[in-house]
Amino acid sequence: MSAAAEDRSTNRDWAAIAQKVGTPFASVLLAILIGSLIMWVSGYDPIAAYAALFQGSFGTPKAFGDTLLKSTPLILAGLGLAYGFRANLFNIGAEGQLFMGGLAAGWLGLVLAGQPWYVALPLLLLAAMLAGAAWAFIPAILKARIGAHEVITTMMFTYIARYFVSYLVIGPLKSPGQIPQTGLLPPESQLPRIQSLFSDATLQAMPFLKMGRAHMGILVAIVAAVIVWWVLKYTTLGYENRAVGYNPWAAETGGISVQWTTVKALCISGSLAGLAGAVEVMGVHHRLFDQFSSGFGFTGIAVALLAKNHPIAVIPAALLFGALSAGAGTMQLMADVPQKIILIVQALVIFFVAAEGIVTYFVKQRQKEATSNVG
Amino acid sequence: MLADIITPDLFASALRMATPLALAAIGGTICERSGVVNIALEGIMLCGAFAGVAVTLAVGNAWLGVLAAVLAGVVIAAIHAFTSINLRSDQVVSGTAINILALGLTGFLMEILYGHPGTTEAVTTIKPIFRFASERGGGGFVAEVWHWVNTILFSHTPIVYMAIIIAIAMQWAMYNTRWGLHLRALGEHPRAVDTVGVSVLKGRWIAVLISGALAGLAGANLTLEQVGSFTENMTNGRGFIALAANIFGRWTPVGSYGASLLFGFADALQIKLQIFRGEINIPPQFFLMLPYILTVIVLAGVVGRSVGPAAVGKPYEKG
Repeated sequence: MSAAAEDRSTNRDWAAIAQKVGTPFASVLLAILIGSLIMWVSGYDPIAAYAALFQGSFGTPKAFGDTLLKSTPLILAGLGLAYGFRANLFNIGAEGQLFMGGLAAGWLGLVLAGQPWYVALPLLLLAAMLAGAAWAFIPAILKARIGAHEVITTMMFTYIARYFVSYLVIGPLKSPGQIPQTGLLPPESQLPRIQSLFSDATLQAMPFLKMGRAHMGILVAIVAAVIVWWVLKYTTLGYENRAVGYNPWAAETGGISVQWTTVKALCISGSLAGLAGAVEVMGVHHRLFDQFSSGFGFTGIAVALLAKNHPIAVIPAALLFGALSAGAGTMQLMADVPQKIILIVQALVIFFVAAEGIVTYFVKQRQKEATSNVG
Repeated sequence: MLADIITPDLFASALRMATPLALAAIGGTICERSGVVNIALEGIMLCGAFAGVAVTLAVGNAWLGVLAAVLAGVVIAAIHAFTSINLRSDQVVSGTAINILALGLTGFLMEILYGHPGTTEAVTTIKPIFRFASERGGGGFVAEVWHWVNTILFSHTPIVYMAIIIAIAMQWAMYNTRWGLHLRALGEHPRAVDTVGVSVLKGRWIAVLISGALAGLAGANLTLEQVGSFTENMTNGRGFIALAANIFGRWTPVGSYGASLLFGFADALQIKLQIFRGEINIPPQFFLMLPYILTVIVLAGVVGRSVGPAAVGKPYEKG
């Protein structure tokens, strides 16, 4: 959102950094506190709940693996949102592009059966990026040409994508059997699990590597974060993106095409969301079905906002929401608290991060009271 | 086949489908006219829908349910008002947070109150007001015309009529009262309103709360008059379609209602067409996509020529 704030931090002013990191931290803390208050009011034990949540997300190597698993698409979706936000575009419909990315990977993986992994994997990821970008293209054109708000159009495209995928897995792409899903991806098209890369002896020696279902998609996500960071910081593409986000009129005067930059920004945002869908299909489910995403595109909004749209900061932000999501099941199991509390906490985080005016607001109220007391 | 599709109940159904969209769209109109973007309509509607069913299940009176839905809408809207007016948060981000909060809150309360996710028990829906007899193909021309009129206009539940009255009343109020004048000025030039001694904050708060009440009522219509139970995330993007209807209706209450009728008709038509999908051989998902595709087409065709309030989305700082 504020490209300027990012630029200012380059002077490494410690106070500025403390403030920058402080707001997200305080936001998360406040959200967790209010979350416990809600649990307490509803008759649950918040301490037991958060203990179970922690156990389920960091307690064992396998639990940590689940956290990584959930964080992987969140990093990618969060990067997509952040890249859009930097150009002052709100890609609220990342979920739709994510579905199309998942579709591209789930379909192409079957088509490319028999190809070696070094051919299949890059092609699948590339196809997912293209599919995500394509799904963002019409909203992008509508935004650039006539100013149709991307919040409405990308949201509509999300519903269209879901019905489209639902049709395909029930109809033309359905594998034989009762369940509406596509066939299993060949092993060459699957992202391998992290623990499968190590020998049994190594796993014996280093049990923390037994990370269950966590897969190599996390590497894709981290590489993507570094690339997006580099693009935003050091390339003309990224400079134009930030310039348009900061002040479109100045950018236009400076010779940047705002329309073209808008189209590029939303399509790149879409391609990252598409990638998020691909890693979920290639790394977790190994096939496509219509419920393969548990709203990663929407959680990506919270991730990007918490990270203040900084590509590297997206990684820890995604880890936080990934951990909440991974631990939610254990929390429900052990402390009986409905998993939906996670969504409430997520919303609260967004509120607090967005409400940067909250501190000044209360300071002003205090001053007002003080002056009225004097008067 | 055409005679089986173009029937009086197709139009009656269009009017029904249009009602929640129209109420939310009018709420969006009032909110945006005051200078506050409200993409939280979706979440507010969802909370209204839930509160309506929860209270009806608890006390057994659907009208208390409607009241609860409206109140729930106002309460949730108050959060949006506080963050976007007082704290000057990004209004779209605040709206997004409310939409996520609504999903979480309704789901959480559902499991606490009923012990399971998904769908609640059924409630007795609010019945249509009028019950006039009419029959299709029963008699002569007059009987046929009466049947059409009766089905399209007199077969509805109370909130359907309320929506029409609200559209007209709000249109009148917006252009003929002091409140309306101030409201329109708030969205165009808040400083001018401030200069003449009218509080920008108060004016915007009232507008946001009204939009919450209307979106809550839309939720009540959905659960207590149409479906008869609550299902998680049942609003299904209606809040966003309502925003499009508001734009298509050029930020006027009657315009929003008219635009909602178009989307309502698309919805009614897709439901009707699904009955015949064996004959036309098109998968149901493509029909379900129709309202969303139509929304994009309408936006593509109308935006640019339809200009919103100048100060919309900009927090006001007393200078």
